[in-house]
Amino acid sequence: MRLAAASLMLLSCALGAHAADTKAGVLRWGGDSSGGAPFVFQDPEEPAKTVGFEADLAAALAAELGLKAEFVQNQWDSLVPGLKRGNYEVVINGLEITEDRKAEVEFSDPYYLTYEALTVPKASHDVVSLSDLRGRRAGTLKGALAERLLAEAGGITVVGYDTQTMLYDDLALGRIDAVLMDHPAAVYYGIDPRLKNLPGQFGRMAYGVAIRKGDAKLLAQVNAALARLMKSGKLREIYETWGIWNPVMAAAFLDERPGRRAEPSAYAAYLAARGVRLGWRAQLAKYARYVPLLAKGAVTTVELSLLAMSLAVVLGLSLALMKLYGPWPVRTLAAVYVELIRGSPLLIQLFFIFYGLPTVGIKLQPFTAAVLGLAINYGAYEAEVYRAGILAIPHAQMEAALSLGMTRWQALRHIIIPQALRLVLPPATNDFIALLKDSSLVSVITMVELTRVYGQLAASTYDYLGIGLLTALMYVLIGLPFVRLSRWAEARLAVEKRPRTT
Amino acid sequence: MAAAPTLLAKGLHKTFHGQPVLKGVDFSARPGELIVIVGRSGCGKSTLLRCLNALETFDEGSISFGDLTLGRGRDDRKARALRANFGMVFQSFNLFPHLDLLGNLVAAPMIVKGLSREQAEAVALPLLEKVGLSGHARHYPGQMSGGQQQRAAIARALAMSPKVMLYDEPTSALDPWLVDEVFDVMRKLDAEGMTQVVVTHETRFAREVAREIVFMEEGVVVEKGPPARIFSAPKDPRTVKYMSRFAA
Repeated sequence: MRLAAASLMLLSCALGAHAADTKAGVLRWGGDSSGGAPFVFQDPEEPAKTVGFEADLAAALAAELGLKAEFVQNQWDSLVPGLKRGNYEVVINGLEITEDRKAEVEFSDPYYLTYEALTVPKASHDVVSLSDLRGRRAGTLKGALAERLLAEAGGITVVGYDTQTMLYDDLALGRIDAVLMDHPAAVYYGIDPRLKNLPGQFGRMAYGVAIRKGDAKLLAQVNAALARLMKSGKLREIYETWGIWNPVMAAAFLDERPGRRAEPSAYAAYLAARGVRLGWRAQLAKYARYVPLLAKGAVTTVELSLLAMSLAVVLGLSLALMKLYGPWPVRTLAAVYVELIRGSPLLIQLFFIFYGLPTVGIKLQPFTAAVLGLAINYGAYEAEVYRAGILAIPHAQMEAALSLGMTRWQALRHIIIPQALRLVLPPATNDFIALLKDSSLVSVITMVELTRVYGQLAASTYDYLGIGLLTALMYVLIGLPFVRLSRWAEARLAVEKRPRTT
Repeated sequence: MAAAPTLLAKGLHKTFHGQPVLKGVDFSARPGELIVIVGRSGCGKSTLLRCLNALETFDEGSISFGDLTLGRGRDDRKARALRANFGMVFQSFNLFPHLDLLGNLVAAPMIVKGLSREQAEAVALPLLEKVGLSGHARHYPGQMSGGQQQRAAIARALAMSPKVMLYDEPTSALDPWLVDEVFDVMRKLDAEGMTQVVVTHETRFAREVAREIVFMEEGVVVEKGPPARIFSAPKDPRTVKYMSRFAA
């Protein structure tokens, strides 16, 4: 069904048409659930569920607006481009309100105020402030405010990470000397027994809901809703549940009521889930719970790869024929295409298609963009494989076909290509397996496929090893049937190699 | 009364990478004739044959068959119209390795003439019988001997009902004991009145079957005539020299 939908989508974008993708009754909010706790992450107990204080905030905000919140996954450092191209209406994911960002998008009033906190290994005694980090390695998230604070401090080697889990893991493993991160992250990750949080507060930061420029109505609605949530105490309740209500917020929101409005139950649940050491039976049961989510990602991976490869085969064959038999302008065009596409990184091509093309009015759905990106890239490789295959068929075959009265095209179609096909089957299968794995790159354009699911699960469960093995195994299992199929086809096509029967 | 020449080449010139290969060749084959072209390697005899079938272009001259005339340069449409009258047999057979024998025979009739498989097989099966390969319809080229493959290649060409058969050294790639089975098929076709043009080094076949021998050297036709005269009483000193090798 998705395949049919995808081909329709391909058709519609070929015509340059695309519908506005806002959905009625739904507030789509962008975030990166592999970023980590307590912002947005996959519930370690119930991996299909996206949780976090920002998930609670999104739900509360949507309810105030009479809408239903719908989470849209995207890489953290691509959240703003994704908002601008219309993948979702708001971003709620620890996005600090900065002048740079304000040039790109509108921000609501702050929904959370915090500061940066330093975390160091338990045994470390000589780091108190940023200046103590001179000549050392400090880590933080790519594109976060902390990255700039560290750079401004001078003399510090700044290491950028994609997820908080990896960031604090590396600190515990001694690959970096300190982590500078937003205080909520420190609350959740600094509790590792190998680490300790320092009391110092660095910088001041405010998270805002990011909204597209020009979306003034939504901005006003969000601000009004936030004000209501603050006044009613609902917002404080959410933060207390997650254990991240702080004095800065109390001062700013004029809410210095002592005591608690809510128990830090979500924080406790998180700590409990983290601290649990499971027996192998329970561990297996836990993996079994991840399988459906991974399988869903695997289905997307297979759909993507099959569609992309089919297109790449058609494209590659056309390019090969253009290069071999076209008049010189066509030949040159095909050659330039192959060199350009083969010579540049797939990652850049994907970004170009997804975030670059909307600038000139071509806005593709993530799935379409992913299929097209992979097909365009692999088409270039296939072109050379097929060209080699066709060249390997002796010219005498073409002459024999021509002398029987066939046109050049009939000879190619019925005599040359079928023979070349058999030759290129092994390298083309090779390329398909490579594409299957390269399809993991499309997670940069908001596609949640197998590798992205792995990232989300591993970040929320800390289990890079077990889930990693499980995911790798799934890739192998997906590839195997195609390898078998190709071997079978090869054997069937290799008729001339059969021993004589007479 | 001699029949009007059917296949006619006039003043063919061809240069290959600056090297003249044909230097004004005239050639004709009347219906029912079997003509053998002989000469040293590189004398231009194969090129002449390939020009006749429009597999090679030429720089000057013309080839005509009935009311079809092909001039210099490339003209795919005319080339195809011309080829529709000719069947070509190659030194290295060039059967289609991915198709079985019957598949080789029905491919062109189905693709070019648009025949159904049944119609094409109705033409192909008697031809397999004629070349003595009835039992091999489902065998692939790679499973057959050279002699069988070359007979199959003849049958494949015949399946398009050509008016003239062209052979480019059809037995040169064969073991000596397989040569005769191919020539026997050509003899049979000759008896049926097929026009045939053969480039070959096999003088025995030329002597026995050819209506006319054409001797070429350095891109020109040096001498032509009935085999008895060409072999035993050549006029041109170049022919004399070439034939002397076969005197014994």
